[in-house]
Amino acid sequence: MTRALRYTVIAIAAMLAASSAPAHHSFAMFDQTKIVTLQGTVKDFRWTNPHVFIQLLVKNESGGEDEWSIEMTSPEHLVRVGWKPGTLKSGDPVTLNIHPMHDGAKGGQYVSGTGPSGPLIGTPTPGQGQSK
Amino acid sequence: MIPRRLAPAAALLLACAGTATMGASTGLPDWSGQWENVGATPDASGGFNQSLDQVLKGMEWNPPTKPEVQARVDKVDAMERKRMDAIDRLGQDPGGAVRACTFGYPLLMLESPLMFEVLTTPKETALIFSSREIRHVYTDGRPHTPADELWATPWGDSIGHWEGQTLVIDTIAVKSPFVSESEGIPILAFGSVEDELTVAILSSQARFVERIRMLDKDHLEDRITIIDPTNLTAPWHMIRTYERVTHVNRMVYEDCEGEDRNPIVNGHFTLAPPPPDTPPSPPSLPSPPTPQSPTPR
Repeated sequence: MTRALRYTVIAIAAMLAASSAPAHHSFAMFDQTKIVTLQGTVKDFRWTNPHVFIQLLVKNESGGEDEWSIEMTSPEHLVRVGWKPGTLKSGDPVTLNIHPMHDGAKGGQYVSGTGPSGPLIGTPTPGQGQSK
Repeated sequence: MIPRRLAPAAALLLACAGTATMGASTGLPDWSGQWENVGATPDASGGFNQSLDQVLKGMEWNPPTKPEVQARVDKVDAMERKRMDAIDRLGQDPGGAVRACTFGYPLLMLESPLMFEVLTTPKETALIFSSREIRHVYTDGRPHTPADELWATPWGDSIGHWEGQTLVIDTIAVKSPFVSESEGIPILAFGSVEDELTVAILSSQARFVERIRMLDKDHLEDRITIIDPTNLTAPWHMIRTYERVTHVNRMVYEDCEGEDRNPIVNGHFTLAPPPPDTPPSPPSLPSPPTPQSPTPR
């Protein structure tokens, strides 16, 4: 887990300890020790609160497609680092680096990626991603 | 002449225009725009861009806690570590979470990752955060809310005055939204960084004095002093700096409810599929209305 991200998670932990606390930031379901690289096509870029999602169609070994849900941070945070609701569109070919789900489900936390126009704004990857 | 049917809208527009230029016309500083805490600038994946060392250094977390209060701080610290481990290592929900966007004061100023605006007017300065929390700072000379009308809230009761271009704020009656029921006393848990938990316990008598000024066109500074003779041996001083978000020109709202896809199932955080009945986003924008001539009455 990156140190910066750990800060977030622990800050949330502190909040969760309270009787009433903000809790929309929890990435505990993602394996922060792993990075998986996905190549696919954007089905939907869901610009929603509390978190933005990239719905990604990825070809599987049987020739079909699997839909992955890639979770990002909030629209407010994304706007501040340069993302827009129109940054990705349905049909865009992308390569995304993600922290996968602990339980093996087809989902993950966005780390970084490449879109039709080049690199997408994200967190620098340590380069240990494995193709999928 | 403004037609009667348009008068309310026109009046609102004039009022907004007046507010927008208030700083220049009254001699008050113009702090318009969007601001973010230098120590809590987010990245795209949910973390922060600043290094941990920088975050720790910037937090200046050294409350002069009284020895008799420290035991309670240690108790909360141990409880936080246990819950932190449950979330971080086991992916479990320790319970008690309420999905809301309330950070409350002073967390909003100290380490909140939220963008905010500052509207300065002669009688009041409003600090408006993306969580839609608002700090109302009355500068019209009024005293604090009378004791028989006062109750503690997450944002407190704030009055202020201007000393030149510096806004001095006095805040009382703060009740942190992060209250440990097991302790039975007001607790301000400002968050934590790695193994360095940052917890402070303040009494209900705590008073917060801030001095906010503009350092340069892109930086605001807040010098915060927490005075709590019940729980602290001396006033606790901290400084926070906020920088202008240069490429954002309007507020973007947080909403913790929204399309929540992280339900807690059997005590564990999960990831749900997208709702099947919602259209792809972003939606297409409606066509602008066709201008019409006002109808004389």
